[in-house]
Amino acid sequence: MIVALVRQIGRRIAGLVATLLAASFVIFAAVYAAPGDPAVFLAGGRDKLTPERLATVREQYHLDEPLVVQYGRWLWDCLHLDLGRSFQYGDQVADLLAARFPTTLALVGYATALFVVLGVGAGILAAVRRGTWVDSAVVGGTTLAASVPSFVGGIALVALFGVELGWFPVTGSGEGLAGTLNHLTLPAVAMALGALAIISRVTRQAMADAGAADHVAVARASGLPEREVVRRHVLRNALGPIVTMCGLVTAGMLAGTVAIETVFGISGIGSLLVGAINSHDFPVAQAVLLLMVTSYIVVTTVVDLVHPLLDPRLKAQRSTA
Amino acid sequence: MKLTSRLKPLGLAGVLALTAACSGADTGASVGAGGVDVSRLKLTPTTAPAAGAVASVNWLLEDEPESLDLDTQGGSAGRTVLSNVCERLYQLQPDMSVRPLLVAKETRPDAKTLVLTLRDGVRFHDGSAMTADDVLFSLRRHAEPEMEQSDEFAGVSGMTKTGDREITIRFKEPDALFTKALAGDAGLVHNREQVEKAGKDFGTPGQGDACSGPYELTGWKSGDSITLTRHDGYWGGKPLTKQVVFRWAEDSAMVNALSTGAADGAYLDTLSSAAALRGKAGLDQHYGPSTAALALIPTERGGLADPDVRRALSLVLDRTGIAKSGYGGLVEPWATPVGSGAWGYEKATFEAAQKKLTEAPAKPAAADLAKAKELVKNAKSAPDTPIVIGTDSTQGRLVIANAVRAALTQLGLKAQIKTVPSATYGEFYGDKEARSDIDVLVADWYISKSDPIGFYDNALTGNSNNWVGFTSPDYDNKVAEALRTIDDKQRAALVVDVQRQFSEAAVWIPVAQMPTVLAMNDELTGPPASMAYLYSPWAARLGAKKG
Repeated sequence: MIVALVRQIGRRIAGLVATLLAASFVIFAAVYAAPGDPAVFLAGGRDKLTPERLATVREQYHLDEPLVVQYGRWLWDCLHLDLGRSFQYGDQVADLLAARFPTTLALVGYATALFVVLGVGAGILAAVRRGTWVDSAVVGGTTLAASVPSFVGGIALVALFGVELGWFPVTGSGEGLAGTLNHLTLPAVAMALGALAIISRVTRQAMADAGAADHVAVARASGLPEREVVRRHVLRNALGPIVTMCGLVTAGMLAGTVAIETVFGISGIGSLLVGAINSHDFPVAQAVLLLMVTSYIVVTTVVDLVHPLLDPRLKAQRSTA
Repeated sequence: MKLTSRLKPLGLAGVLALTAACSGADTGASVGAGGVDVSRLKLTPTTAPAAGAVASVNWLLEDEPESLDLDTQGGSAGRTVLSNVCERLYQLQPDMSVRPLLVAKETRPDAKTLVLTLRDGVRFHDGSAMTADDVLFSLRRHAEPEMEQSDEFAGVSGMTKTGDREITIRFKEPDALFTKALAGDAGLVHNREQVEKAGKDFGTPGQGDACSGPYELTGWKSGDSITLTRHDGYWGGKPLTKQVVFRWAEDSAMVNALSTGAADGAYLDTLSSAAALRGKAGLDQHYGPSTAALALIPTERGGLADPDVRRALSLVLDRTGIAKSGYGGLVEPWATPVGSGAWGYEKATFEAAQKKLTEAPAKPAAADLAKAKELVKNAKSAPDTPIVIGTDSTQGRLVIANAVRAALTQLGLKAQIKTVPSATYGEFYGDKEARSDIDVLVADWYISKSDPIGFYDNALTGNSNNWVGFTSPDYDNKVAEALRTIDDKQRAALVVDVQRQFSEAAVWIPVAQMPTVLAMNDELTGPPASMAYLYSPWAARLGAKKG
């Protein structure tokens, strides 16, 4: 049992490394091919764009070398655990990430907490009150929320709760727990809104499937109160798909904070990535994208590993074996 | 030398800026109390002096500074912060004139030698005294080929320490602009010990500063904020504001932070943000002179190779319309390619000369149109293929591109607009290939030194910024002579002549001058409203209106 788990984790890690290697080259090549000349960004202002100055800059940052050589140089340093220095900021890439990743994690964590509580709650409500006006209201409301792009929702939220009512700050990520919560509420709500529809929909469907099982009918017939039936038999069996979906949405969010960070003036890895791609800051773009890929893989892997533990039927098989 | 138009990503930010209109932001369409009349944008170099102390001020930048080492990475965000922390050998004043600062006395034994006697009693933030060695080290660092300011030292043949408090600089040719460069980033004086100690990390988050200014860098939390604190051991006057905390936000986030009072002030590079903030309660806006201007630059492709056709285009371009619909009235129709902030000396001379340039009217009259049509009719080589106008998709530039197309159509010429993504727009300036399929670029330009001659070398024969291939021996001689002329009055006379030749040939077609915009909480006052904020300690003048 344990051996199998270790082997599975080992296989996962090997897969992760292979994925990262392939992704790193694809990303490097994509940033390389993106429109715009990095030397123009690094040379300084308009009056510094002389051919001589541009040539000096290209040499200084090795931009005059072929793509493969540049990539090899980056990979070599990377294998020595050196992510290099940002072209744009001159700072260590690791420092830039360390300063910004916690902000993005906090934002995604907050948004996850919101959509799990609200989305799963709404889904359960719709499932229990199936076919009533409550059901229709949940399905309709969440669909409407999902049809608005998150940054548009963000702008609307800022305009109403930030600018007009002044309940929440309009920019930055705040200090301390209370400050962070206060600053990240609007952006987290804006991100969570889009996820509500899918999560509540999956919850509702999983509950319906689980509710149709024979043992649920048996439980009802044996006179268990409806609340107990829903909690112990229906919801427990429906947890698998719900958790999987929540994990996937969260993993997607890690790579999708760019728009929200811009609207709310939050310095996370999303806004760092936009700047890095636009100025062809290879070391930073590489590191951020790889971090996003890694986070995605880690989250989905965790969901995969947790999945069997949630399903009582799988657990039952194991304990009798 | 970035001042305006950081080549910004516009993909998403642009969408946001456009949608900002529905986020409760005033688009500047209504001219309220803080409104601006296009025909008379009033530029004031300073704001009223401050009277009262302030504990802490929240200031906004449009970006996080890339680095606080301006030698390796200059940008307006970094300059806005460091102008309060670091001092230069000379200092740009709010009225854009230049005065010695860390230099006590300047002598010129001959035209090719500059002797700087250093000020006594200047101390760096670590308590050590500024020495001639620090100054020499700093100058040599600025002059290294990969550093941002290296081009300012192109005419220098030697820099030596010639006394305890004395540096002597020798030139290959007399250099009229050198002391002005020393009021910019080429004149920054660093504490050698601190720079060497920090090594590669100098100017990155978590490091201290190596300077002697009124404020000390007391914190830079990467991705969050930068804090400056009044330095009690400062050798000069004591500022009223004890602490300045910088944060950064783009477009709508910046507008929101300023309108809700989350931030107390900002120097706005993006004029659309300024327009959106106009007339907001509790917020003042001040406009000051800068060297920045909007212009059209004809390219090598040659659709506008004939100077008469260029003059005709200049005569019929509706500059007032551009200022109104492209920039919310925040730019001023202008007849030269440099803003009035470049007039750092002999201001009256330049002002009078500017009025004599009649071929760039703010609003074309019937006579202008008639003259322009005549010019095109008699032109030696009027283009018969469409003239291609290059631009990106920012609102202001698109408005200019359309105005140019309308003007060319009026002249009976064909025109089309080529729009490129903002990420590649900057390449037009640095790469000949990128310009090969446009005839004229919708451009902006600025110079870092407050002297128009710092611009006019762009049209010298063979200069890399002289795309259209303008060539005139007399022009070349006059520019070279002006650059060699140390005396302000004589140089101004030469510059005026050079400027006239440039305008008559319409080497570039000027559109409008862009102001520096300062948006600030209406309880605060004091800092300069001119471009000087990039190079002199504006926060040292900041304070409350009431004592």
